[in-house]
Amino acid sequence: MSVMTPIFEGLWDHYILWSVIVGAIAFGWLYHHSFWFTSKDGEKVPNVDGLEIGVFPKHNDDMRLEVAWTILPFILIVWLTYYSWEPLDAMWTSEDGGIHGNECDYDDPKYNGSNNSMNSLGIIKSDCYHVIEITGQQWFWSFDCLELNDSLCDTGTETMEVYGSVPVLSLKKGETYLAVMESIDVTHAPWFQHLGTKEDTVPGMQTTLWLPISEQMTEESMVLCAEYCGDAHSIMAAKLVAHN
Amino acid sequence: MLKARSKLAIMALVAIAAMLALPSAHSLPGGISGVQQSGCNCHGAVPSDSVVATIDGLPESYNYSEEYEITVSFQGGPSQEGNVNQGGFHLWASEGTLTVNDATAQVYNQNEVGHTDAGNDQVSWTVTWTAPATDKNVDFVLHVNSVNGNEDGAGGGTSGDMWSKAVVSLGGPIEVLEAADPFVVLGVLIIVSASLLAITLAYVFYRKDPDAFDWDNFAPWLADWLTSTDHKKIGTLYFVAGLFFLGVGGIMAMIIRIQLAVPGNDFLTQEQYNQFFTLHGTTMIFLAAMPMINGFANWMIPLQLGAKDLALPRINAMSFWLQPFAALLIFTGVFSGHGADTGWTGYAPYVVSEGAHHGTTMWAAGQIMLVASSTLTGINFLTTMAVMRAPGMGWMQMPLFSWSILVANVMLFLSIPAFGVGLIQVYLDRVVGTAFYDIAAGGDPLLWSHLFWYFGHPEVYVVVVPSFGIISEVIATSSRRSVFGYRSMVYAMAGIGIVAFIVYGHHMFTSGMSPTLRFVTMLTTMLVAVPTGIKVFNWLMTMHGGSLVYRTHTLWALGFLVTFTLGGISGMFFPSIAMDTHLHESYFVVAHFHYVLVGGTVFGFFAGIYYWWPKATGKMLSEKLGVLHFLTAFISYNALFWPMHRLGVWGMTRRHHTYFVTTEEALGSLPMEAAGWNMFITVSGFLFFFSNFILVFNMIASSIRGEDAPDDPWGGWSFEWMTSSPPPAHTLYKLDDGSWGIPTLRDANEHIANETPGWLSTWFQKLLVSDDDTEEAAH
Repeated sequence: MSVMTPIFEGLWDHYILWSVIVGAIAFGWLYHHSFWFTSKDGEKVPNVDGLEIGVFPKHNDDMRLEVAWTILPFILIVWLTYYSWEPLDAMWTSEDGGIHGNECDYDDPKYNGSNNSMNSLGIIKSDCYHVIEITGQQWFWSFDCLELNDSLCDTGTETMEVYGSVPVLSLKKGETYLAVMESIDVTHAPWFQHLGTKEDTVPGMQTTLWLPISEQMTEESMVLCAEYCGDAHSIMAAKLVAHN
Repeated sequence: MLKARSKLAIMALVAIAAMLALPSAHSLPGGISGVQQSGCNCHGAVPSDSVVATIDGLPESYNYSEEYEITVSFQGGPSQEGNVNQGGFHLWASEGTLTVNDATAQVYNQNEVGHTDAGNDQVSWTVTWTAPATDKNVDFVLHVNSVNGNEDGAGGGTSGDMWSKAVVSLGGPIEVLEAADPFVVLGVLIIVSASLLAITLAYVFYRKDPDAFDWDNFAPWLADWLTSTDHKKIGTLYFVAGLFFLGVGGIMAMIIRIQLAVPGNDFLTQEQYNQFFTLHGTTMIFLAAMPMINGFANWMIPLQLGAKDLALPRINAMSFWLQPFAALLIFTGVFSGHGADTGWTGYAPYVVSEGAHHGTTMWAAGQIMLVASSTLTGINFLTTMAVMRAPGMGWMQMPLFSWSILVANVMLFLSIPAFGVGLIQVYLDRVVGTAFYDIAAGGDPLLWSHLFWYFGHPEVYVVVVPSFGIISEVIATSSRRSVFGYRSMVYAMAGIGIVAFIVYGHHMFTSGMSPTLRFVTMLTTMLVAVPTGIKVFNWLMTMHGGSLVYRTHTLWALGFLVTFTLGGISGMFFPSIAMDTHLHESYFVVAHFHYVLVGGTVFGFFAGIYYWWPKATGKMLSEKLGVLHFLTAFISYNALFWPMHRLGVWGMTRRHHTYFVTTEEALGSLPMEAAGWNMFITVSGFLFFFSNFILVFNMIASSIRGEDAPDDPWGGWSFEWMTSSPPPAHTLYKLDDGSWGIPTLRDANEHIANETPGWLSTWFQKLLVSDDDTEEAAH
């Protein structure tokens, strides 16, 4: 079971590559120096800088090196920031004509669903989106499909082996949804595990979360509460079903 | 007439306003939940007399483990045949297990059942209650809704609905007292065993010399520790307190790990687990790490600066003695079984909600005392550094450990007021009913997050920066070199201090904060890598051309470099927001901050303990035991926290008392392998926990029969090595001419030694001490 979305996987691989490079430099250096520049006999050690008690020792520095490892990491983080930039458009796209278009107009004769498609970076674009509502409450989720018909969005309850009775949200593959969320009591956060996304539901405030259900989405996945909300926080679960 | 009509209109308006202001009443098709004794929060504000709830089928007293069929029903209210919906129920039983018989009811947990969508069309339901296997007094609380079904679908039945409740109590076969809460038992055990230990100790003293066993003999010794203002004694007290709570926090971590060893474990209830992780976090940060930093700083700041004592010795004693009482307050709730259960972050509005345990109030009160304590002790360190440096020591000639304490305390001063204010708001909300975080009254739920993280992020740097200082000292001394890039080290620490304040938003990437702010903090968070990178590379370069002498503290410093670098690298994954939305609140976060806080802070402390122990006690620690401690702890530590990265990516959530793996029959939230890894982590956790007792044993063995330590066992240059080991009560230093006194710092860099201080040092000195005060201090 992989819970990685293509966006996550792309970023992850890139970051791991740079982590390995930085790690190899730092640990290779550490490994070399901790074996090369050692003394077996702690008593007869070369005292290069002439350390002496009560005397501030000679400065041991090299401006070029210090500037180098200020500038190089800075360039790296600028690159990593730039690289992390593009998926943001997909996550925080506008509700009016962003990459998910506008809210679907079901009376429009040309209406033919969201038709979402994924590009090579894993970013999903759609023609239009559907609006659903998610409400968090101690300690269960309520899903509301609003006016959407059953083939687009369906809710129900199901008794699961381990979580007991949980609410089920059933969404259609190839469609994109905008969840409008609020909370009745304290802060919660639905973590759509296989969508790699979560957002707090905050009392007295409305938050939104994009749920693009691609064709590759796993049939059944869990929704957990990720923001601590009291006693039964860990079993405040729901199930997401992606149907055809 | 007109008057009467306008009166009526006003009354109608008031009535409408009142109805709008009432909690929006949703008849929940999925059932009512989250209600216990406190009341029903789902229909209207007050219960209605016209609805009568009844529970049938309960015996007078139950038989052990027997199953009883209970019928819950109601009469009256707007419910009647032919409505779309008729009503619902919620039944809570304090003991035993509730199960359902058919699809009209559902189980929330073993203590709670309610109706389902399908069961919304009736007025009576049947459920099964399995009695507990021991003697308990059982309370049943039933809530019922009577609805007129005026609207279908979710939220249906929003007006004219009524609710009521019924309470039934039931005894076991024999009327008995209820079994005590495990927490109470634990608390009593601790108190009883501590008293027994005290009596035994007293008896041992008595047997040794019965004649000397009187109060007059003990009083001076005891009074000395209680009233001492000597920075060394208070430093030791801080250390003892810090190590004690490191142990307490460790025990809590082990209990947490037992619970998580296997999926679906019920070693702890969810309520207990929530208290354990809250107090583990609070204890480790505020009661273990902070006191140990203050312990190091108390001991070493005056010694490194060539001073006799700290500038404000009485304030120093006061800031220490606030700590034990604050600790007592923080733990008070535990002894009644209702310890704080909010997480160390205490997010609003949960922290002020009725659901949060009573202990949370005391937890907030204790932390307010700690805010006072940290502030007072910080003033003390800064004052000492500003006015009591030995002659010849400019700002840029202070040893790096002193610099790290300076940076940490400046950060603390700029951030801790926000935390103090937040805690006072929470405390007032919980105690006198103010409404800072009451959402219904217009409170702002994000205010706490902002106040907390404005403090919380600098705080984690406050905890780790002193370790940077220790590591700089240890690596330089062990390599027999001057630290590489002293000036860039200082500027990097100051840089961390500045960056700390503009990055805290990365804790709130999924909090509903404005995307613009999230984007800005994404950019700034990346910046943290620059100053920390400078420090890591400078440490590595310090070793270049040197001659590393392997002592235990050297090993810990090298271990620190490994784990802290790994922690730093994993930290770079969070500012990438598209990854963070998956990793946030997962075990990846847990792995990351344990890598920087244990692998960074605690490993730094261990290096510091092995480095300065001979100076502080005059006895050497055993190197053999030290190496054994390092090897066992370093390996088990990595085995403990490294696999957590993978668990987090798989989807293991933080602060969940249990987790479930996906099997062929059932869907869970984690893949199968997660169970094995969790067991591995638990075993490694216990190894790590017990490996640290080698250090405790080493300390005890060294105090009893350790070799005497020379004045400068490792060849360090700073002033602490110039005095005797252990130093005399009012520290004096051995001068070149053989006499004792306050030393003068010489500088091997002649061009600097003869320079007048630059504008930056002059400005900084004036910022801390005005010219008049300098003259006064000189007298």
